Amino acid sequence: MKFMFMIYHDEKTLEALSEGEMQTLVDSALDYDDEIRRSGHYIVSNALQRARTARTIRVRGGKATTTDGPFAETKGQLGGFFLIEAKDMDEACAVAARFPPARLGIIEVRPVRELQHS
Amino acid sequence: MKYVCLVYLVEEEMSAMTKREADACTDESLAYDEALRKAGHLVAAHALQPVEAATTVRVRNGKLSTTDGPFAETKEQLGGFVLIEARDLNDAIQVAAKIPLARRGSIEVRPIKKLVR
Repeated sequence: MKFMFMIYHDEKTLEALSEGEMQTLVDSALDYDDEIRRSGHYIVSNALQRARTARTIRVRGGKATTTDGPFAETKGQLGGFFLIEAKDMDEACAVAARFPPARLGIIEVRPVRELQHS
Repeated sequence: MKYVCLVYLVEEEMSAMTKREADACTDESLAYDEALRKAGHLVAAHALQPVEAATTVRVRNGKLSTTDGPFAETKEQLGGFVLIEARDLNDAIQVAAKIPLARRGSIEVRPIKKLVR
């Protein structure tokens, strides 16, 4: 089964880290990528640029409108995501809990919905 | 450059669709994924199960806690994502605007950050 991890953190917490602390965090995230690649859980993962770099698009009546910023204003901001393969939700949560930056933020774990042509 | 297109929808509106409407919506989404794949834009695309299927995980002082449900309570919910390769933000916006669900919800486009050791 496939699961998505959405990593939320307070961007201000990250911005308050020293350069050394930030690099340690990045290194630990990359080590984790390697670890779950070896364990066969990894499908794809990406860190995201800050929420302020986002644009939000809507199409209504054939007309597209674009606004600056993320769609949802939340206390924590989406900072990255993983797509993984796991047996069930318990295994997916156990894998998520090992992600080192989970100490600073939270991870939402959600099963993927497989779409099929009608 | 890679961009993620986050698809936000009102889940209630989606579940209120007739089977026929929902099937047409799925077919259209899969057809667009295929078109993006052919054009070399597609990296990965997935729909997500509804937010009630989510579990939120937190680790503090080495202790794990989990809660049922999504992290963020929003009017519209993250329903899926499309990870694409695009020339620049404008190119990514062009791709995002053609996602069939952009007509029903909102698409947030965000550039990927490359992590370097």
